[in-house]
Amino acid sequence: MNKRILAKLVGFGLLFFVAIFNPCSSFAQGAGLTTANQFFYQGNSAYKEGKYDTAIDSYEKVASLGLESGNLYYNLGNSYFKKGELGKAVLNYERALFFIPNDSDSKSNHEYTLSFLNSGPQSFGNWFERFANRFFEEVTVNFLTILLSVVYLITILALIRNLFFDGAKRSIKILPLVLIPLFILSAVSLSRKIIYLNKGAIVISKEADVKFEPITGATTYFKLTEGSKVEILERADSWYKIKRPDGKIGWVDKTNLESLFGRPGYR
Amino acid sequence: MDAIRRVNVFIIIGLTFLLHTVALAKDINFEATVDRNKVGLGQTLQLELTFDGTQNMPALELPAIEGFQARYLGPSTRMSIINGQASSSITHVYTLLPVKKGTFKIGPFKFEHNGDKYSSNSINLEVAEEAKLSEDKPSQEGQLETKDLNERIFLRMQVGKDKVYLNEVLPVTIKLFVNRLGVRDIQYPQFSHDGFSIGEFGQPRQYQETLGGINYDIIEFNTTIFGLEPGEFRLGPANLQCNLIVKKQNRRQAPASSEDFFNSDVFDNFFGGYQTYPLSLKSADIPITILPLPEENKPAGFSGALGFFDFEATVNPLEVKVGDPVTLKATVRGQGNFNTVNLSTVSLGNDFKAYEPQVKQEKETKTFEQVLIPLNTNIKEIPAISFSFFNTRTGQYETITRGPFPVKIVRPEKEEGLKVVESKQPAVPSLKEEKLGKDIIYIKDNPGELRKKGDYLYKNKIFLGFQVIPLLVYLFIVVVHARNRKLKTDIKYARQFLAPRKARVGIRRANSYLEKGSVQEFYDTLFETLQEYLGDKFHLPSKGITISVIDEQLKNRGISEEILAKLKDIFLECDMVRYAASQLTKENMQNSLKKLEEAIDYLQRDKV
Repeated sequence: MNKRILAKLVGFGLLFFVAIFNPCSSFAQGAGLTTANQFFYQGNSAYKEGKYDTAIDSYEKVASLGLESGNLYYNLGNSYFKKGELGKAVLNYERALFFIPNDSDSKSNHEYTLSFLNSGPQSFGNWFERFANRFFEEVTVNFLTILLSVVYLITILALIRNLFFDGAKRSIKILPLVLIPLFILSAVSLSRKIIYLNKGAIVISKEADVKFEPITGATTYFKLTEGSKVEILERADSWYKIKRPDGKIGWVDKTNLESLFGRPGYR
Repeated sequence: MDAIRRVNVFIIIGLTFLLHTVALAKDINFEATVDRNKVGLGQTLQLELTFDGTQNMPALELPAIEGFQARYLGPSTRMSIINGQASSSITHVYTLLPVKKGTFKIGPFKFEHNGDKYSSNSINLEVAEEAKLSEDKPSQEGQLETKDLNERIFLRMQVGKDKVYLNEVLPVTIKLFVNRLGVRDIQYPQFSHDGFSIGEFGQPRQYQETLGGINYDIIEFNTTIFGLEPGEFRLGPANLQCNLIVKKQNRRQAPASSEDFFNSDVFDNFFGGYQTYPLSLKSADIPITILPLPEENKPAGFSGALGFFDFEATVNPLEVKVGDPVTLKATVRGQGNFNTVNLSTVSLGNDFKAYEPQVKQEKETKTFEQVLIPLNTNIKEIPAISFSFFNTRTGQYETITRGPFPVKIVRPEKEEGLKVVESKQPAVPSLKEEKLGKDIIYIKDNPGELRKKGDYLYKNKIFLGFQVIPLLVYLFIVVVHARNRKLKTDIKYARQFLAPRKARVGIRRANSYLEKGSVQEFYDTLFETLQEYLGDKFHLPSKGITISVIDEQLKNRGISEEILAKLKDIFLECDMVRYAASQLTKENMQNSLKKLEEAIDYLQRDKV
């Protein structure tokens, strides 16, 4: 009886794994992908010739097809850097790092661009979130999602096993002690990444005044420099309510910012 | 045994001590000093008779001294340990009161104690008129008068000789003489040294010296110089900066009366009674002639070494294989300017591979170690090596030659081609930091994995849906597991739980007998099923269920009469079958089955 149930469970687990390792991310199919590749290579050749505006146009066309990749954002970052728009370069390197977080080229160029803007890497979140993020710095959102799911699944399997084998070996009892911290860390890190993914924005103007109220004549609370990270908390007409990594909150004219991935109408 | 050995040890220690004291007695030094050698009439001076090296020396009866009256004040002893060497002394202090003016010579004092005779030095004293001296003496102690001070603290510079050769090392001694003054913050002396190169000052020495009968504390600074070009030069004068500690202005010369004593500011004496007084001392300058080295007889290998040297050279090992190293070690020993000591290079020809010599310079030696590698077996000797220097004592050039050194070179055991083994020097990595330009890294040439925008797994509803499944499975398993466990452990629960299931099986079997028309089997099955069901349901032994039991057990459980009647009917019919099976029709059987189903239904539904 017990063995039958276990066998069923294992079968079910396998099915589950198949389900998650075939991510349902629908790839752009056929014609769309070919066109996208064409635009991409057009962008590359324009870049080689030093026509950075043309290159940016071509890369943006790929994006306008509803497609994105780490390499695409990286090349966009390079083009903006060459054009001298460092804020936009930082924005695109940040985007690229979401897809190819352990790409040394992206990291190097990102840091190099920041060094021009006299700012170092900043990060959001409280100490625990930053601590958790340190473990998963070089991991994509999808990978972290799968990891979290797998840890969750293993935890449940371990619990079920404990049900059937009361006098289970010590190793099985210790397993949760490893799994639970891992689960918490990956969950915290993932939530932090998702928040930044949706709310994150980069200052693209040379300098931006952050005001106490979303009114043109309002008092300036603090200033943001090009390339700084912020999180958009609220959107009202032409104003964004933003939060700086150090926790200061104020209103800034939306033309100064560009979201990482968040939709313009995001609320 | 042990005790005897211990006694022996004590005796030896005791004897050693005794011998030691005897040895000390012979080393006793007897010296007479005065605190000043100019004194006015009516003033006193102190005479100190010091025995160095002992503390067991009684005061001697001073003989009558011409022109002075003497009075014994008392002894003072001193013990000091310097660098582990203990020294002790006793000083007997006397006051001398001059009785007439003039120049006197006191001493030498002679003293005999325990059969040993001691004799001191003599001292010249000048007694002036009181009036004259009172001008010399500072009217108040706080004011320092230069004339007086010059005799109590001064600087002297000395050099070994006044004629030196170019590059010859000349020791310079600068002494600071201090007599009964507090001095501190003494800085290293400085002196002008045109035409000379000076070395660094060593650690200053501190000792006492008697000059003209006056005891001085001496601080001695030593350094060396050497001339840089021939000619007449003046060395010095030397300058030295220090701070004098002087008493603040003090009205009280000596506490003449108790009143005076109390009037004086005791605290001032204790805490604020002293002040520092910066002092710059200057010595005389010294003329020095620097002689050029004579050109005649100058050896070919002379490299400027001056002084007085000895030279040795050794070769080790004396027998080697071709390609193995031989060390030639040359040592120059002596006194002089080692900076200019150099060996004339030996011409080794093509027979040797020679490495740069390793030079080690110490205070009085300079060692050269050169590694030579013989390249063939024809070598019989290592050529002679010579060292030339200018002997400053004789004023002549000298050349010392050592060698040649016979060596035996043998063929290497293996017949292999001549192989010079280079000493493996670690490959020196270039330590220069890479100074390269920095720029952004070039673009990627492929688009990578293009995906639909904003397509993340965490947003995927199917994926998220799947996440719920394991949890549901878990909850399901927990429930099932808990029930299974209860079925195993709780018999009453298990019987009640399984009763309807068993009854259903029985009814199905009875049904099939009904269709076949086998009455006997039908009622048997019916009876068994009912018995078993009721037994399981109410946790009673199944075989013992009869009508009477039903009456007893079920009535007080609140089961309706109707159902009880139905149950009784079934039992009655089952009984009847045994006696009159033929009287029961198919209709009866169907009714009975129906009744049974209704009864079980009721009992299950109403959860009795």
